[in-house]
Amino acid sequence: MPQETGASVKLNLEGLLCPIPVVRVSQAMKDLPVNGVLEATATDPGVLTDIPAWVKSTGNELLSMEKKDKVITFTIRKAK
Amino acid sequence: MSVGVTSLSLTDMKEKLKALIDRKQLASLEACVRCGICTESCHYYRSEPRLEHTPFYRAEQLRRIYRRLLDPIAGRFQRRGDSGTASAELLRRLADIAFSTCTLCQRCTLDCPFSVDTADIMRAARSLATATGSAPQMLVELADAAIVKGENIESFKDFYLDQVKELEKQVQDRLGSSRARIPVEKEGARMLYVPLSGAHTIVPQAVLFNLAEESWTLSLFETSNYAYFLADTSRASRIAQRIIAEAERLKVEEVVITECGHGYPVMRWEVARWLGRRLPFRVRSVIEVLDEYLQKGVFRVSPKGNGTPVTYHDSCNLGRKGGLFEEPRRIIRAVAEDYREMNPNRIYSFCCGAGSGLVAIPEWTDIRLRAGKLKAEQIRRTGARIVVTSCDNCRHQIGELNEHYGLDIEVTSLSELTVKALV
Repeated sequence: MPQETGASVKLNLEGLLCPIPVVRVSQAMKDLPVNGVLEATATDPGVLTDIPAWVKSTGNELLSMEKKDKVITFTIRKAK
Repeated sequence: MSVGVTSLSLTDMKEKLKALIDRKQLASLEACVRCGICTESCHYYRSEPRLEHTPFYRAEQLRRIYRRLLDPIAGRFQRRGDSGTASAELLRRLADIAFSTCTLCQRCTLDCPFSVDTADIMRAARSLATATGSAPQMLVELADAAIVKGENIESFKDFYLDQVKELEKQVQDRLGSSRARIPVEKEGARMLYVPLSGAHTIVPQAVLFNLAEESWTLSLFETSNYAYFLADTSRASRIAQRIIAEAERLKVEEVVITECGHGYPVMRWEVARWLGRRLPFRVRSVIEVLDEYLQKGVFRVSPKGNGTPVTYHDSCNLGRKGGLFEEPRRIIRAVAEDYREMNPNRIYSFCCGAGSGLVAIPEWTDIRLRAGKLKAEQIRRTGARIVVTSCDNCRHQIGELNEHYGLDIEVTSLSELTVKALV
């Protein structure tokens, strides 16, 4: 379950394989208000390209994406 | 769930239907006599016997629209109270039936005395739903993201190449050789290997290609094509063309598709038909390549590497539609000690319950887990502890069936099973 933090949401997508991380992000973004921020952690390397592509195609904004050891952390702002 | 359709004038809907439905689909619509022989062929019905789960019921929903709009005789008689529009509710219902209660597995066609292809009829219904904006939004988003990735590959390439370097290190560690490589954009390589997004479709295969001293290069793109599930040939062609363009640019002899159910038919026969031209390279599944390596003794394996009982689930796309039945079985027999056949199998295998995009639609998780009951029972009867499948959708679904039905199994691929047997 997404953990809500004010106008933002945190998701743990570690261990999930594509396309499920994208699917979970899309679902969680629906419940966010405009300008709300989603922060997620994932381990599937596909996330490194799939999430930026999804963000671009849906018109949202990728604020950050970094990888430390095996964990990828990214934040997205809901633009519309 | 859907993109937000409101309603459509019947004239608009008629034009869309005319453009989307072909003669083969019309023949199937006309030939079905609703005898019901297909009923027991459907995994939905076998898992949960309800009228809505029969193939003939599903096809009937599109047939009614066809009769109303395109049938030269029935169309002359306007129904009492006909509003002249196809309501959003009607379109949504058609979309729900086409996307959530049929996985396009074609198992019913095998038993039909007229070979009615209900999957093809449902594909027409999916096309109509997509064209009218009532298809599942998640599939549309995934398809559009793949197109964006193709159009902006330079923006994403650095992330990808960094990741490939890390995966290459894993391959080197596994082989104990710093010379092992995962080449990318290598012009003149014999083979372009197209993975999925996950490392599990890159690392084991890279281990085997390095051992075989294969001339290969890893694709920048993934083989998954969610527009194929939308029955949207325009979008699906654009996604597939990313790989075709890459293969042509690198001048490879063949494109090898990872263990992916729908990715194989898309590249093996669908895209050439959509584009109306022959592809200038051969297309194979990686399981055909692995089978060839093992038959030629390119590397050594021992069945002792996999001592626990193993069974194989035939993916509908690779098996019933693609004819890849013996290759996976030869591989498993070479790398595992105790192979147990699941029944029914090969062409008569039942769908896992998650095919054709269902796995990507969270709202329908319960539906697909219920529809997977038949597969869960088959797996349990084998007594196997390892289930091998060559489709990532099936892999995901069987993994969830494992938890849902308490099967106590591990799900893996042929490539991973083979790597475990290396000596």
